[in-house]
Amino acid sequence: MECKTSNPAAKRFMRRNLITMLLYVLSLVLAIGVFLRYHPTGVLAYLLAVLPAIPLTGLLAIFGLYLAEEKDEFQRSIGVQSMLWGIGGTLAVTNIWGFLESFVHLRHLNPSLDAVIFWIFVGISIPFLLRRYR
Amino acid sequence: MKNRLRVLRAERDWSQADLAQRLEVSRQSVNAIETGKFDPSLPLAFKLARLFETTIEAIFSDEN
Repeated sequence: MECKTSNPAAKRFMRRNLITMLLYVLSLVLAIGVFLRYHPTGVLAYLLAVLPAIPLTGLLAIFGLYLAEEKDEFQRSIGVQSMLWGIGGTLAVTNIWGFLESFVHLRHLNPSLDAVIFWIFVGISIPFLLRRYR
Repeated sequence: MKNRLRVLRAERDWSQADLAQRLEVSRQSVNAIETGKFDPSLPLAFKLARLFETTIEAIFSDEN
């Protein structure tokens, strides 16, 4: 999975990723704004609260779509490995944090940050994985 | 897995980028295969064999 590429699947992934991130920021700003100003309740509150999670969840589908569309098997393998690093890293961080919360009363880690942690690990792992094959 | 890709490339005076273009993969893929760090799938191995007009066994060997 290259950052600068002429690979059509990677280009599509980058474009979709950018649009989804933009939707995430917009939905987050909208949800915060509406909650602060109008204090919604009931179904509307639930819908607004879930709104920012939709693009973040969509990112997983977009990455899956990239893996399905990527014709270069080596790049596909790097993508799959980076997702494994993402899953492993997220589980490690949340597991350690969970025990710290239980025993030393560390500040609660909002589960909505799991997706952020996951993508950080995915992003960090890619250059290291590519370096391994250099 | 050992392979003769570097030699076959050199015989044709192709760079890794040239081979990558012909295979429709990235240059990184060619490098990873050539250095034996990534084993290609059977379809890609066949594609390589066709491109170099030889057999898969003539390119790859499972000796360590």
